[in-house]
Order: sequence, then C-alpha cells, then structure tokens
Amino acid sequence: MADVRDILDIERANTPEVTRESFLVQKRRNFEKAKGVSKRPEGMHREVFALLYNDNKDAPPLLPTDTALGIGAGYKQAKARLGMKKVRKWEWAPFNNPARTDGAVFHHWRRTTDDQKDYPFAKFNKQLQIPTYTMTEYNTHLRTNVQKWNKAQTDHLFDLAKRFDLRFIVMADRWDRAQHGVKSVEDLKERYYEVVGLLAKAKGQNSDKKSYAFDAEHERKRKDQLKKLFERTTQQVEEEQMLLNELKKIEARKKERERKTQDLQKLISQADQQSDVATNVQSARKYEKKLVKKKLHHQPRPSKVDSVVNAIEIGGSGIKFSDLRGSGVSLRSQKMKLPANIGQRKVKALEQAIQEFKVDPSPPPTEEICNAFNELRSDMVLLCELRTALSTCVYEMESLKHQYEAACPGKTLNIPPSLIPAEPIKEEIIEPGTSASTNA
Amino acid sequence: MNSLNIPTDFGPDSGGRVKGLVIVKPIVYGNIARSFGKKNEDGHTHQWKVYVKPYHNEDMSVYVKKVHFKLHESYANPNRIVTKPPYEITETGWGEFEVVIKIYFHDPTERPVTCYHILKLFQSPVVDGELSSTNLDNTKRMGAANVHLVSESYEEIVFQEPTQLMQHFLMNVQPLTSGSYTHDTDFETKKEKTLENIIDVKGKVKSEINSLKDKLKLARETIAKFKAELAKVQKPPTS
Repeated sequence: MADVRDILDIERANTPEVTRESFLVQKRRNFEKAKGVSKRPEGMHREVFALLYNDNKDAPPLLPTDTALGIGAGYKQAKARLGMKKVRKWEWAPFNNPARTDGAVFHHWRRTTDDQKDYPFAKFNKQLQIPTYTMTEYNTHLRTNVQKWNKAQTDHLFDLAKRFDLRFIVMADRWDRAQHGVKSVEDLKERYYEVVGLLAKAKGQNSDKKSYAFDAEHERKRKDQLKKLFERTTQQVEEEQMLLNELKKIEARKKERERKTQDLQKLISQADQQSDVATNVQSARKYEKKLVKKKLHHQPRPSKVDSVVNAIEIGGSGIKFSDLRGSGVSLRSQKMKLPANIGQRKVKALEQAIQEFKVDPSPPPTEEICNAFNELRSDMVLLCELRTALSTCVYEMESLKHQYEAACPGKTLNIPPSLIPAEPIKEEIIEPGTSASTNA
Repeated sequence: MNSLNIPTDFGPDSGGRVKGLVIVKPIVYGNIARSFGKKNEDGHTHQWKVYVKPYHNEDMSVYVKKVHFKLHESYANPNRIVTKPPYEITETGWGEFEVVIKIYFHDPTERPVTCYHILKLFQSPVVDGELSSTNLDNTKRMGAANVHLVSESYEEIVFQEPTQLMQHFLMNVQPLTSGSYTHDTDFETKKEKTLENIIDVKGKVKSEINSLKDKLKLARETIAKFKAELAKVQKPPTS
C-alpha cells in the first residue's frame, strides 16, 4: 500500500523515518510454530539432534550477527519491518580518496543524512616504512655479498618493496629478470632483511626494535619438502601407508614377544624357587611320568590328572607369606597381606573358603593370630586345589567308564562309592554281578 | 621437641638401630557415630568421631609426632593433622568413606605407618554366626533415639630393630590417665575367640585335606584300573 502511495506521490500520514534501529526492531512472531516437527532420523542421538534443530527450525547462523540490539537478546531473528516507514534518500555524490595522490574524483551513492566524512575505506591504505640508504651507507655497511647482490640489484629490490608493500610474492614476480638475473622469493627476503638489519645496526636503533632474522636456508628446505610432499604419486602415497601399517604390526609383535619372555622368566624364577624344595620329588616325578607314558602309549588321549595330582603332592601349593624381617616400623596386619604373586583364581577360592568356614577375614592382628591365620589360609588353598583335582579325577573316571560301556555294551565299570560326589552328575544304575570286570 | 627431654648424645643420626630388639605397641583405631535422627539443612545425618588411641593406658605422644587423618575430599580441608592426644577428629556427615590414618613418629628415620578405616555410620545387618572384624554389636543406647555405633579395629605397630632414639621414646611412656582405661570393644575376648576359631577351623581343614588325599589316591588307582580294562577291551581280538 505504501508503495503505491509513494509511486502516485499521494500525501500520507506522517510516519517516522526509517532508522537502523527501527528497521531492525524485533517483531513478535504472530504465527504458531509449524506443527509436526520433523522427526529425528533413526540412530541419531537425541542430544545431537537437539543441537541441529532448534525450536523454530531455522538454520543455525554461520556468523554471529549484530541483530540482537538489546543486550542479552542473544541470537534472535530480527524481522525487518519493511514498507511501513519513509525511506531515506540516497544521492550520487563525488568523493575524494585521501589515499590517492593524484586527486582523482570519483562518485558513489551516499545517504543524504550522512555527514561529509572522509572516504571511509581510505584508512585501509596502510603505508609501510621501507628504510632507505644513501650511497655512503651502502658502501660502508651493505657491501656484504657482492657476487650475489650489487648496488643496482639492491636498489631494484627496495624499489619493488616500496611499490608492492613488501608483498614478496608479487615482488618476485615483477623482478626484472632480464636485467638483474633470476631471484627466488627467499633470495629477495634474505637480502631485504639482511639490509634492514644492517641499517638498523648502523643507525644504532636496534635497541628498542629487534631486527627480524630471516632463516633463508630453513625456508628453502621447508618449501623443498612441501614440494616433494605435494608431488608424490599415488603409488608413493600408497606405499607409505603400507609401510606404516607394517611398522605398526611389527611393533605389536615385538610387544607380544616381550610379554611372553617376561611370563617365561617369571615361570622360570618360580620354578627355581620350587626346585630347591623338591628336587628329589621332581626327578621321581619325571621317572614316574616316563613310566606312565610307556604304559599308556596306546592311549589316544594323555591324561592330565596325573600332572594335577603330582603338582599338589610336591607341595608347590599353599601360600608363601612374606617375612617382614628387616628393621623399621610396620603394622602387624601387613603380615596377613596376601602376596602379590597369587593368582586371581586362588584369591577367589580362598575368599570362598574363608566364608565357608566362617572365619573372620581380618582378625585382630596379634602375632599368634597372624601366624595361625596365615597357616590356615595356606591350608585352605591346598584344600581348594585338592577338591579341584578330585573333581577332575571323577570326571576322568566317568569318561573312561563311558568309553568302556561304548566299547563293550552291557558291561560297566564301578566307581568306588566314596568317590562319587554327594550330588552325582548323572544317575548311574550299577547292577551288581552283571559286569565281568568290576574293580572290587 | 625440646619439651620431650631428648638426651643429646644421640646426635642428629638418632644413634643407629638396636639389633635384635622388637617393640610392639598395640593401638585401636576406628570411629563412633551418632545419628541426629533427622536430616540437617546441609544434608548431614550423623555426627561421627574417628580416632586412634593406645590399646594400653599410655601416652602415645612420647613417640608419636603427629597423626594425619585424610577425610573424604568433599570436606573442607580434608587433611587433618593432630599433634597431641587425643588423636581424633569430630565431624558431621551423611556418608561412609575410607579414612586414611597415617601415624608419624618422632624419629624421622622411622617411616610413618598407614591404617585404612571405613567410616561406619549405619548398622550393617549382622550375618548369622559370622565374626565381624568391626565390633558393631556393642552399640550403646544413649537415650531413646541416640544410638551410638562403634566400629573399631585392633592393630599392632611393630618396631623392628628401632633406632636408639626411638627405643628411648618407646621405653619411657607414661600412663595416659590415672583412672581405669577401657575400650568399647572387648578385644581380649575377641582375640581369644578368634584364635580358638582359627585353630578349630584349621583342624577341620586339615582333616578334610587328609580325607581328600586318600580319595585322590583311590581315584588314581581306579583310573589306572579303568584304563587297563579299557585297553583290554579295545585291543583287537586278532592278536
């Protein structure tokens, strides 16, 4: 409506002129939020979804905006209220760019309300202070590398530096190769900073400003490396990836090997400790084992019962508690601590046994109680091992019995009743007299 | 330190260790707790006191330099240090946690010892027949609603070959009070009972071990027999 009136130049009610503030004043949304909020895709976490979609489903801003005029308004959409106010006038005006030296006059669109200010973009025309030198200064201080840089070249360099505000890439591009030979960006930088540093030193002004030391060698190397990296072929990249993977594998294997050696060493040291106690028994066991092997050479499966039983009978089981000898203060209860080399399974079994026999797990630690308690627990460990060994034996007997029954149907072997656990795994009906080979 | 009247002839290196000497100092550590019967504004429900005290009537400060109680980190200033008896901290709270008690001695060459005590506020259900290490049975009735809960442990500090300086301290303890000195828990009876129980159980375990050994022997014989029988049957009849 307002547009039509404007076009027809019809007088209308005096409305306040549009200002930036009124233009951006926040308008309350008077329509309901769209119903049926889009559904969360399956598998997407609720928290992630909540980040993506805020309540009015607007895309999140890419940049913080200044539309929130009031402090604390936060990121809120300001609705532009168009067409309700009178527009501000623009005019085609000439301006002067103070950054230019030639006094050229250009035109641009400008608000009539804006004051006649300076060209606002003039401030971006920064001028660098490129140092200068005189002929004598050059001759006394700057004749450092005559083969590479003569006076003409240096002059040309500083001319370029002034013209292009030290944009070395551009300077290298505009370098007069025909007259002064080929120079790289690093060459230019090296010479420039060298001259600047020398001049500063000569004029004695490096006290307050440290001159920049340009490491040309490093820079050349860096660019060389980058170039090499950039120019790798696909094959080379793949090969590198492959080699890295191989390295990882090798390291993993190495770790594994080290772990195994450590385990082995532990075992060896343990065996050494035991062998002192049971050298005789061990040799006896070896002999026995040989016998067993000879006897059972036709047996398809080697029995593991013997090894278990032997291990127990040697007396390697039980716990060796640390002897808190030596000087110093200690708590008596430390004597009851289980040594660290006991396996998790032994500890578990011991705990169960302590509970089973209703013993105080941490009794008042007098010397007498400590000793008795430690002996008791050592015995308990042996007890647990014997129980396990017996059940292994019973299992073995059962399996042998089944093998026998399968081999000659109708016959069976009798397990001594004292060895059958209180709750037998399987009900067996043993008919007395029917079997030809009882073990009575 | 000067007030302790140290003989100066030990010098700075406390005179070396006394070979073959062992001095044992029994102590009791633990806590008592009392419920408010309601929740305070800060959420605290109990008042408790954690302590270390000598088992016998003697002044520990002669040989103990300080006791360091480390409380739960939620307490303001959880590292509490007590330099003279009674070695105790009284606080209020709502939860149970582990208190680390570190006892330092006057001779710096003797390393401090550390006890761990789980602060007890709530009566745990008594398991039938189990001997609990913390004596929770002797809660004392202090009025109708105020139930005092005691959870304390017996411990012995063993000075193995103490330094001469330390020996001097340990041998010269004074009684703490002139009156009678008792504990909430009757540790003498407990020691006796525990030892009896352990010896009793040890006997049971031994007898079971012996019976198991016999059974195992029988089992091995049976297995050998079974194997022989099986070998007979499995041999092809052609031979």
